[in-house]
Amino acid sequence: MAAKSNAAAKSADREILLTRVFDAPRELVWKAFTERERMARWWGMKGTTTRIVELDLRPGGTFLYVMRMPDGREMCGKWVYREIVAPELLVVVHFTTDEMGKPIPHPYDPSLPPEMLTTSRFIEHAGRTTLELRSVPINETPAQREAFNKLADAMEEGFNNSLDLLDEYLAKA
Amino acid sequence: MVQQHISSEHLDATFSALADPTRRAILARLALGETSVSELAEPFAMSMPAISKHLKVLQRAGLIERGREAQWRPCRLAPAPLKDASDWLEHYRRFWEESFDRLDEYLRELQKREPQKKEKKNGRKK
Repeated sequence: MAAKSNAAAKSADREILLTRVFDAPRELVWKAFTERERMARWWGMKGTTTRIVELDLRPGGTFLYVMRMPDGREMCGKWVYREIVAPELLVVVHFTTDEMGKPIPHPYDPSLPPEMLTTSRFIEHAGRTTLELRSVPINETPAQREAFNKLADAMEEGFNNSLDLLDEYLAKA
Repeated sequence: MVQQHISSEHLDATFSALADPTRRAILARLALGETSVSELAEPFAMSMPAISKHLKVLQRAGLIERGREAQWRPCRLAPAPLKDASDWLEHYRRFWEESFDRLDEYLRELQKREPQKKEKKNGRKK
């Protein structure tokens, strides 16, 4: 039977929280998350092709990728592994970088935190795997923290409901 | 992580404007179409000057526009800044969500191809 992936997303305590259920055993999800060839198959937004420059799975090691967007532009990023407990826990610091892996300011807004500490927990239930992802800014300046908090607060207050209405409006406009 | 640069002062104004529930309600109302200030004030138990104050904040943030007609001065949404803010806000989350969609697909494909790899100890579900 096909898995219905359950995407629940919420923001609390000024973090990004995502939960997703995959209809696959934990060992397999873990492999998909940690092996170079497998990672290249899914990492990146819809319509992108991802090239893995480096995947060195050890604390302090780097996962460096180049994502080609549908319009041909490329964007790069990297993870630096902090904690690896196979097959249940992966803690990384996620950076936006240039193609050499050098961290760059957030292209949307330099006032945004450039580094996100991202913790993924893999929990198995009867052959399915629940992935819990938690992401918080680190090494941020007070101004960047403030920008992030504003964002998180706005989301908590149901900002998105207003945006749904706005999306409808924009679709008509 | 792509697209345009948005100045931080600009986003700042946008977020402060959005921090207030009345102002978000005003935007939601305007999303349905342009309207006069008095019509806008109706559902809120608020004086006209209080509403005008909110409108000024929204206008300063570039979130709404007001007509030039002296008497009527209709309000309407100026969608661009809000759209920018929401794109920016959602981007990181979307990155993960869309990757997870692809992972989900990939895992299914894998298990179709290599069914023997699937764990047996819990038996088949469904």
